[in-house]
Amino acid sequence: MKQGLYNNFYRYLIDSFDKKQAALTYIESVNLTAKRNEAFSIFKEMGFPTRKYEEWKFTSLSAALKDELQLMIEHDHSLINTNRIHSLDAVHLVLVNGRFAPELSDALPEGITFYDTQATLAESRFADKISTLATEDDAPMLALNTAFFTEVSVLQIAAHAIVEKPVHVSHVFTVNDIAEFVPYRMLVIAEKHSEATIIETFHSDSLVHPLFVSYVCEQEVHESAVLHTHMINTLPENAYFVQHREVFQYRNSVLNNSNIALSDVTLLRNDLNFQLKDVGTETNLIGAYILTGDQHVDNHTLVDHQSPNCNTNEVYKGILLDTSHAVFNGKVFVRPDAQKTNAFQQNNNLLLSDQATVNSKPQLEIFADDVKCSHGSTIGQINEDALFYLQTRGIGEEAAKKLIMQSFIFDVILRIKIESLQDYVSDLLNKKLNTENLTVV
Amino acid sequence: MLNITNLHSSIEGKKILKGIDLKVNAGEIHAIMGPNGSGKSTLASVLAGKAEYEVTEGEAFLDGKNLLEMAPEERAREGLFLAFQYPVEIPGVSNINFLKTALTEIRAHRGLPELTSKEFLKLLKDKQELVELKSSLVNRSLNEGFSGGEKKRNEILQLAMLDPKLAILDETDSGLDIDALRIVASGVNKLRTENNAFVIITHYQRLLDYIIPDFVHILYDGRIIKSGTKELALELEEKGYDWITQHETGTV
Ligand SMILES: Nc1ncnc2c1ncn2[C@@H]1O[C@H](COP(=O)(O)OP(=O)(O)OP(=O)(O)O)[C@@H](O)[C@H]1O
Ligand SMILES: [Mg+2]
Repeated sequence: MKQGLYNNFYRYLIDSFDKKQAALTYIESVNLTAKRNEAFSIFKEMGFPTRKYEEWKFTSLSAALKDELQLMIEHDHSLINTNRIHSLDAVHLVLVNGRFAPELSDALPEGITFYDTQATLAESRFADKISTLATEDDAPMLALNTAFFTEVSVLQIAAHAIVEKPVHVSHVFTVNDIAEFVPYRMLVIAEKHSEATIIETFHSDSLVHPLFVSYVCEQEVHESAVLHTHMINTLPENAYFVQHREVFQYRNSVLNNSNIALSDVTLLRNDLNFQLKDVGTETNLIGAYILTGDQHVDNHTLVDHQSPNCNTNEVYKGILLDTSHAVFNGKVFVRPDAQKTNAFQQNNNLLLSDQATVNSKPQLEIFADDVKCSHGSTIGQINEDALFYLQTRGIGEEAAKKLIMQSFIFDVILRIKIESLQDYVSDLLNKKLNTENLTVV
Repeated sequence: MLNITNLHSSIEGKKILKGIDLKVNAGEIHAIMGPNGSGKSTLASVLAGKAEYEVTEGEAFLDGKNLLEMAPEERAREGLFLAFQYPVEIPGVSNINFLKTALTEIRAHRGLPELTSKEFLKLLKDKQELVELKSSLVNRSLNEGFSGGEKKRNEILQLAMLDPKLAILDETDSGLDIDALRIVASGVNKLRTENNAFVIITHYQRLLDYIIPDFVHILYDGRIIKSGTKELALELEEKGYDWITQHETGTV
């Protein structure tokens, strides 16, 4: 039985696939074309996900999938705010609508190499890797991306390279006069014993017409590599952002990820999957969101413990106001082989409006017996005693509430170890808390 | 300074304060004693403005201003301070930022400019020495993981920083060892001037050996049933509440 959404935009995509592929015949490898065809048939069959799909139970894309959406064809690089974080000492790499903009980017330091779309497709070791980490079965949005992505780039950190300076991959989107759909992807390979920091920001100036971004990121973290990743969303209203991230971790590797949504993005959906392929890994995940108006943020994380002696620590915290909606679905699988697993997961929410909604679902599935796992999920209000205490010290009610909200989220931000980045995120936090229409009942 | 007349208050329909009259002048120290559940903390909370407590009758003025019409923060800015019996832990709010925010609000209300960071830190250091509170605690989250005694000393640090007209200390002595008790008492004595006043809620004479009260009141079942001078506290310690309740209620 078909349960997907098959709207005008769906039909437009189905109709345009063959023509688009025909133009790519001489550029793409046969392998990639085969993958695209397969992904296309999955998407064609499943359609856009609806709430009838288990993984999309609480998130509807129907308002996002406007009839008038079109694939982005023009890549206009002029007049662009590249969203450089001035206080941050980082190498700035700019992707405009998913495409590398060399004239706006810094040179990379030793030990790390960037490949743009052309270079990526020309190297079969990269081209053949596309969609081998993330696989499309049952994932129509991922299949859609695989079938339609136009840009793909690679960041490769060389074996034993210790790249001190963070790389800031600034994803910026142009403000256009039609509703556009931008599907693109990236591959990150952290070779053995390497260490690097990749800060990804997602930005656009304010949008009049809807922007729908589909971003897929596949990452390999090889033996004893340490990869620090940050995702900071500063997209405005009218932006719809769907990300799929698939990370493979190998022996003794460390992966840190922070997922910050303190923007006005209309809809954000993250599927962040971490497959622990070999022993001794560490995975630290943090997330923070404050939602106002009718913002919708859905974080799905999956940590798949396939090997023994791996550690996961996950903390997501969020605040909901107005008519906003947050979804947290945190799966932790502990496979039969994954003895001595340590997995800790926590999602805390402050629900500050009668009309806001939180669906928080920690999902621990344990098939090994010698493990330490815990999870917790809370949905609470502002603590009245704390509020009163602050007020009795002369702090006004509004300010006291904001102080409590700020501290609630800051608890997560504190774990960002790069001081200037922590400051940048704190500024986003304060900006969000000081938006004019922010009122707490 | 503080003028309470016929104050009645209830919570969830339950009457707790049943007509309190209390007058505190500048420069005075008043002690309020009374058995568990008699309404001491309720009185403090009502004065500080806790919303759950409904005031059904009576009035409370601070230097001629009607306290009961003000929000809690306005009362604080007008110079009321409550050292809580059970200080609240607020994770993530740094003690030092909190103090700075509070002080800035209160100074602004008094028409004083915000202190520079340097001035603030200097003031903080001085006051910290007064209550002998470790710097490491000042840099931590507000009360989080503090021991009972540290929380109480942190209350007195806030008192010292905010420099109120009227301070109510709700069982600040409970949970303090004798050294901490001496520190807190000497802190209070140093903060005492002829322009401010203290209301000290306690169960024990012990604290009153160090902070000598001008008046002692006994609160029983929502009423002040007896007032006297410091000797009353001694007598109470010796004879217990039974003596006084039999004595007083017998004559009503
Ligand atoms: N939030 C509340 N809800 C219901 N009853 C309350 C509440 N707060 C206080 N009470 C009741 O009011 C009465 C007075 O309590 P209060 O805390 O003022 O006593 P107290 O004199 O401070 O006692 P203690 O010496 O134990 O601190 C008690 O019977 C208590 O149970
Ligand atoms: Mg009490």
